[in-house]
Amino acid sequence: MSRCGRTSQLEALVRGEVPGPVAMDLRSHAKSCAVCRHELNWLESESSLFRQRAGRDEVAHLWAGVANKRGLNESRPWTRVLVAMAAAAVLALVVGLGGGAAQRNALSPTRAMDEVFETDALMSPTLILDEGEPCSKLPSGVGFSCSQPVPASFIASR
Amino acid sequence: MLRLLKRTEPITPETPDESLVRRAQAGESAAFRALFERHVVSVRRFLRDLLRQGDMADDATQETFTRAHAQLQKLGDHDRFKPWILGIARNVAFEARRVRTYDPIDDEDDGIPAAVIPSPDPEAVLLDAELEKHFTEALSHLSEHRRAALLMRLDHGLSYEEIAEAFDWSLPTVKNEIHRARLKLRTHLLPHLTGGKALGGDATKGRNRP
Repeated sequence: MSRCGRTSQLEALVRGEVPGPVAMDLRSHAKSCAVCRHELNWLESESSLFRQRAGRDEVAHLWAGVANKRGLNESRPWTRVLVAMAAAAVLALVVGLGGGAAQRNALSPTRAMDEVFETDALMSPTLILDEGEPCSKLPSGVGFSCSQPVPASFIASR
Repeated sequence: MLRLLKRTEPITPETPDESLVRRAQAGESAAFRALFERHVVSVRRFLRDLLRQGDMADDATQETFTRAHAQLQKLGDHDRFKPWILGIARNVAFEARRVRTYDPIDDEDDGIPAAVIPSPDPEAVLLDAELEKHFTEALSHLSEHRRAALLMRLDHGLSYEEIAEAFDWSLPTVKNEIHRARLKLRTHLLPHLTGGKALGGDATKGRNRP
């Protein structure tokens, strides 16, 4: 509308889309150019009217109609919290049962025997003694009982 | 469980429309609710300006968002929710008023002044109840399509390109329509603006004042 050819620039200025230095130049120009000043006055007045009017609407009641028609009864945060709590409770229950079973296993005779076996395996004489060395050379209390080796001649006679 | 955790990502005022649209398209109701809350004021005001009746605007607003939710999967440009929903609102309003298809070239009932209209002092513009009444009345003097285009630009901040897309008009047509709408609005508003004094003496010199 400005016959000065700056209408679109002035519009951008009012919309806050013009960078600082350019905005200052435009405002400075509008002070000396009657056509642009006139246009800028109108653009700013319109903007002010629409802005003032925009802050007065009451719309809070409108969501219910949309939600009902589209089935948008979204799960609220508290329902999600409840779901999460239920999931956590189930998880705790599962873990608790599993842990209890493990604990019971640890106390059971079978488990105790396994542990003894593993300990003995680590202390296997083949790892400590050279081949052919009698186990009686081991120090006492290493976790297995030592007996005299059977002579090969005895096995062959059997 | 992962899905549950993903759904609980917080939605804040900084969450962009694009993200909300994607989440709403994935079925997250809270994201669509956030889009509703973010745009309902605009949409409702736009519809009230087109329909000029508050209760009709309420119904049309609900219908607009209902349609938007039903058609959300069709929205490919996720960051263009606002022009998209205003386009739906415009269709809803025109259907409600049974507005005929608009051909801008045929609209010669302008009464648009050839003169430059004296400009008001923007700092003195105060929208009291009286002025708001005149403002609404001034808008009602515009044809529905022209008014819709003007409102999309001035009130809702859409670009000329977005309006052209919403109306399926060419860019020059959009600019011309908004220009004409502006002149007409100004003509009707001027007598009611506080301090409606002509500031641009050179601009009005030798022209017919309305």
